[in-house]
Amino acid sequence: MAKVYTGKDGRLLIDGTEQIKVSSWTLTGSLEVLETTTLGDSQRTYVPGVQEFNGSASLLYYNDDADRNDAATALKKVLKVSGITSSDTVSMTLRLVEGTANHDVQLTAYITSVSFGASVGEVSRAEISFQGTGALTAVTI
Amino acid sequence: MTFPSLAPSSRNFNAGDYSYKTFKSQNGSETRILYGDKRTGMTLDLSYDNIPDNQADDFIAHYDDTKGGFETFDLPAGFRAGWSGTASAIDAATGNKWRYDSPPVITSVRPGISSVTVKLIGVL
Repeated sequence: MAKVYTGKDGRLLIDGTEQIKVSSWTLTGSLEVLETTTLGDSQRTYVPGVQEFNGSASLLYYNDDADRNDAATALKKVLKVSGITSSDTVSMTLRLVEGTANHDVQLTAYITSVSFGASVGEVSRAEISFQGTGALTAVTI
Repeated sequence: MTFPSLAPSSRNFNAGDYSYKTFKSQNGSETRILYGDKRTGMTLDLSYDNIPDNQADDFIAHYDDTKGGFETFDLPAGFRAGWSGTASAIDAATGNKWRYDSPPVITSVRPGISSVTVKLIGVL
């Protein structure tokens, strides 16, 4: 059945927990290519190099009835008194749902930047950027 | 084994010179004495970017075969890839052969892929 996906179908899970009040996420995958063109060639040729995955997400700074604030949890991955260590990775799952089926991209990532603020007349939100480390752990899109 | 017959990614050729000595008098006039009739000392820098490791190691095998910079050798035509001028113009001049001016340098780029740079000098 034909299906157009919209923001309504989007989900973001961090360490397996579906985040509340996510307004957007993006994921970018890229491949570095290594040039193998030699003298005498008329067209450039390449071999695959290393891949990279990164992205960003925007979450409302929101406390639910149980006082859970996913934006704050994400912010604290970077805004912390102690330094960041190699164990401070998170499992990110970027998901589009279709009924009971999930179309996922899952990766291990460091949250590399966070920002949040307050403005008159605007909802406070946390903007986070993440950098994948290693290979994708699952792709079911 | 012979020098690997790969097309380089870049090639830098310096034509060398004839052997002569220059004497300068106190009034500034110059006298030159030619000691040979053959051009020599030409240099050739070759780069092979992003090639498989099993081709990169051929350069080391050849380097071993020539006992490093000790023995001289001819180059296969592959090193002239892309050159449409006279073949001999960028090869070792008459009477010369190539030898390694410095050891080949292998830079590992990613698993299984390396770049190699080779510096050769033409000698009589």
